[in-house]
Amino acid sequence: MGKSIVITSGKGGVGKTTTTANLGVSLALMGKRVCLVDLDIGLRNLDVILGLDNRIMYDIVDVAENRVKLPQALIKDKRFQDLLYLLPAAQTTDKNALDEKQVKTIIDELKPDFDYVFIDCPAGIEQGFVNSIAGADGAIVVTTPEISAVRDADRVIGLLDQHPLKEAPKLLINRIRRNMMQEGDTMDVDEITDHLGIDLLGIIFDDDDVISTSNHGEPVVLNPNNPASQGYRNVARRMEGQTVPLMRIDQPKESFWSKLVHLFKGKNNQSTK
Amino acid sequence: MQSVILKGTQDGYKLFFRQSAGINDILVDLKRFLDKYKVQNSSTPQVIHFNILTGDRLLTEEDKNKVISIFKTYPNFQIDGFISNVITRSKAKIIRERNTVKTISRTIRNGQVIRLNGDVLFFGDIHEGGKLVTTGNVYILGNVYGIVHAGVPNSEDKLVIGNLHNAQQVRIGEQFDIVADKNISNTSRTVAYINDLHVLDYGDVKNLKQINPRFYNRIGGII
Repeated sequence: MGKSIVITSGKGGVGKTTTTANLGVSLALMGKRVCLVDLDIGLRNLDVILGLDNRIMYDIVDVAENRVKLPQALIKDKRFQDLLYLLPAAQTTDKNALDEKQVKTIIDELKPDFDYVFIDCPAGIEQGFVNSIAGADGAIVVTTPEISAVRDADRVIGLLDQHPLKEAPKLLINRIRRNMMQEGDTMDVDEITDHLGIDLLGIIFDDDDVISTSNHGEPVVLNPNNPASQGYRNVARRMEGQTVPLMRIDQPKESFWSKLVHLFKGKNNQSTK
Repeated sequence: MQSVILKGTQDGYKLFFRQSAGINDILVDLKRFLDKYKVQNSSTPQVIHFNILTGDRLLTEEDKNKVISIFKTYPNFQIDGFISNVITRSKAKIIRERNTVKTISRTIRNGQVIRLNGDVLFFGDIHEGGKLVTTGNVYILGNVYGIVHAGVPNSEDKLVIGNLHNAQQVRIGEQFDIVADKNISNTSRTVAYINDLHVLDYGDVKNLKQINPRFYNRIGGII
């Protein structure tokens, strides 16, 4: 029996869909069976980011209204053998096309077949949000180091308090710009985590490749050397119960004196750096 | 046995309604009693005031009105009030709520509103956009980045005590302040209160006696 996890944020544009796609792919790369469910009905994007938009035949509303069976609507991502599936959102209706009960039924039907079911929540806290948390066992709250995103995350965590899921929500801080955080121009990771008062699942650095790769329909995690990709892979490993240290914000810079010391001490110390 | 008994005390006349008597008997006896003592000569202007003691009985509004309407027919008798030894459970609950300090330790997040009755001792965090609303005083030991509202809906004698430096708004009764516009010092000894001009003002805990003598006496004047 798998676990269903909703990816939500309140605010739009913080990277819910990107996170859903990349976490899904990371876990698929680790050999887990993953299903991604897009609930952003009317404004679906998850299929585009995965490069599966041309394969959609049926969508979640078709399933909810019993026009097709669930397996018929699932799209298999061929890059990952039999591991990654997508249940796309409908494009022609709006967020109110589904209710909580229908979503819960679909998620409950998916869970036995997969290790993870990720639910991509639409922005906002209306019906779409209520639907998204209806079938979820846990939640990942995505925020960025911007005050407006943190406020909305706070609001969403408050709403999750009122409708507690099986597991407490976890925090993911996305789009971190190293230099700005180091300069103190944005809230830092500890500040955000302390303020929101929930466990930190991981941090993702902002990277141009995230956008350029998703434009090609290839999630950034496919490139193992990209810092954003490493962030997502770390999150996936933590979800699997591994202990992975948090990535460092500061890239250690050597002071003039320590450089000088190293110069005189020779190779030994250089190699330990 | 008479169901209405007259008692004269230092505080004036009292009419005692015997507890075991039925309300109809009481009304009959009351009428008889008032008839007996009513002043025949209407030129005497003196009006005699009564308090009605109902013992361990609570008169319904309907019964009270019946008693009042009987009294209305006798111009020189008047009721000051009804005094009962008992109160209803719901009233008792309200009184208990009013007199206990509620201790709360939770996070009030953006968009959440916690409404309470009575005084509140707050250990938790109020995030930006969160609201703590109560009818009584608020004592803050936690962190406030949101809105604190004491004395809802319109009690101006309530206080907010604690560190308000980072709060968004302080409200007492119908008055409010945007904290950013004021210079509230970063100390947990701040007392927010409504002054004689009906304006929100800020003081230090050590001046509590001057700020609100009644409150100071109630808590025993020990600080």
